[in-house]
Amino acid sequence: MNKYLMICGMMLLPLAYSHSVLATAAVDELLAEYRSAGATEFSVEAGNTLWLQEFQDAQSGKMRQCATCHTDNLRNPGKHARTGKPIEPLATSVNPKSLTDIKKIRKWLKRNCKWTIGRECTPQEKGNVLTFIQTQ
Amino acid sequence: MKLVIPEAKRIWDLPIRVFHWLLVSAFILAWLTQGEDRYLDIHVFAGYLILGLFLFRIGWGFWGSHYACFNSFACGWRSVWRYLTILLTPQRQHFIGHNPIGGWAILLILGLGLVVTLTGLLTLGGEEQHGPLAGLISFAWGDIGHECHEILAWLMLGLIGIHIAGVLVESRLHQENLIKAMITGYKNTSTEDTASVANHSRLAISLILVVLSSGGSYFYGYFTQTAEHPYLPFIGPQLPDNATWREVCGECHLAYHPTLLPARSWQRLLNEQHQHFEEDLDLDAETLAELRQFASDNAAETHLTEPAWQIEQTTPLNQAPLRITATAYWQEQHEEIPKQIWQHPLVKFKGHCNACHLDAEQGTFEDAAMRLPQHSDFSQLSTKPH
Ligand code: HEC
Ligand code: HEC
Ligand code: HEC
Repeated sequence: MNKYLMICGMMLLPLAYSHSVLATAAVDELLAEYRSAGATEFSVEAGNTLWLQEFQDAQSGKMRQCATCHTDNLRNPGKHARTGKPIEPLATSVNPKSLTDIKKIRKWLKRNCKWTIGRECTPQEKGNVLTFIQTQ
Repeated sequence: MKLVIPEAKRIWDLPIRVFHWLLVSAFILAWLTQGEDRYLDIHVFAGYLILGLFLFRIGWGFWGSHYACFNSFACGWRSVWRYLTILLTPQRQHFIGHNPIGGWAILLILGLGLVVTLTGLLTLGGEEQHGPLAGLISFAWGDIGHECHEILAWLMLGLIGIHIAGVLVESRLHQENLIKAMITGYKNTSTEDTASVANHSRLAISLILVVLSSGGSYFYGYFTQTAEHPYLPFIGPQLPDNATWREVCGECHLAYHPTLLPARSWQRLLNEQHQHFEEDLDLDAETLAELRQFASDNAAETHLTEPAWQIEQTTPLNQAPLRITATAYWQEQHEEIPKQIWQHPLVKFKGHCNACHLDAEQGTFEDAAMRLPQHSDFSQLSTKPH
């Protein structure tokens, strides 16, 4: 009896993790890419800091941060600050589709860094922020 | 001289009275809902009701009871003249049914009403591409029909004004309450050879039942709608779609259908894709080519919808606006919306069309498909991700 339970449990484990496993696959690939571009160890802490950091937009003088659209709780749905369009939660724990598509992550990191910070993020920053999002 | 005691006789049968007051209600309803896109469906229903009532009245004018028949009150201009010249003298004539001017007013209202409803159908078919004439007439003819419809409706209102004034004057001159007579059907008469007409109540009840059941089926959608599936009285045409367009242009806002701007605007917008309202769209050449093709194949010039036609007509050729909200047509349509609405958390951005237009995703922007966000049934809709 116990043996069966154990086998079932072992089968369930990868299934339960399949979503986050997928997520890491895309992120892992990106992280490897960033490392070969010169980044070193990635830090959740630094990612969190970048997430909450406010940047002043040169033109409008308004403050911008990642949370402007994604809110500071990544498990909540966000809303595009300029157009009002709803954004699904970024946290992989509530949105299994998040961080699964490598092209999508690349595209949005480029766009969002440019709009929020005013420049593209460095490989180090991108790695940090992805590592941080994954823990949410 | 023999003394005759005035006796109440039924002059107006029930179908005529029901017709009269239904017509009054339908006319008021049509007048209250005119010019409000949101209530176009109600306006159109009132129009159909008026047309139906007039057709009934024409039939009843041939086969109805005595005083309802056209040949009982249609008369030449000589009789009208005679009636008018002696109206203010003691010799004035008294008619138990319609007097000569009253008769003319009825015929004119009937005729004008028919033309008003027919030009209404022309407007509906041309401008909105709905109703029996949809697809048969162009937007331009619909527009002309619309102009005529408005002028004729005002004429009809004037005629109704004269009719009411006439009723009041007659009531005073002959000391009889004509309004009450149109409610009860009875008038007091001392003429012995005047006989009561039959009431035809079964016909009148059928008339009411037909009106009630057609109203019920016309507005049925409102009773069965839910917050998720709000009822759209008018369903627009199925517009050409493109998966790439929908995906790429729907990432940050509604994927505006190309019918909403002229082709030159879309070309300019796609040429400037690296500075798209401060965003860098960063599209590759292949995607860009597909988007270009789809945009120019379905731009406003195709006249696939009324907004397309209107935007194409009203945007000067030397202008290529990048915003739909910057076009003259859009601004004119939305100028009456109060400021607070634009600042409402569910709206905020003028280009957030789907905050108010239930069919914005489809791109059809039909009348009666808009809801301002203070409506409670609406709050869940606009925040729903697609
Ligand atoms: C102007 C609004 C806005 C801001 C500010 C913003 N984002 Fe986004 N972000 C979006 C939108 C919209 C999406 C696409 C969501 C979707 O389609 O599921 C997105 C998607 C993403 C994704 C991809 C998610 C996935 O499913 O793969 C990442 C990663 C991301 N954002 C990170 C960031 C970071 C980091 C910042 C701050 C530097 C930031 N965003 C700031 C609007 C914004
Ligand atoms: C990265 C996000 C993003 C993407 C992707 C995007 N847009 Fe936009 N778009 C915006 C923003 C931001 C605005 C301006 C919002 C404001 O005025 O505050 C805008 C505005 C517009 C407007 C003007 C709306 C109005 O009438 O005010 C049009 C038209 C438009 N976009 C078309 C497109 C098309 C076509 C595509 C696809 C090729 C596209 N957009 C893709 C972000 C985006
Ligand atoms: C705040 C709510 C709101 C928003 C946002 C909004 N509209 Fe409207 N729109 C309305 C209302 C209300 C009317 C009806 C005005 C009237 O009755 O004349 C209307 C009318 C129209 C009409 C005319 C419909 C017809 O057939 O006569 C068009 C076309 C239209 N809107 C397009 C748009 C487009 C395109 C957008 C986005 C770029 C948009 N609207 C955004 C509320 C809105």
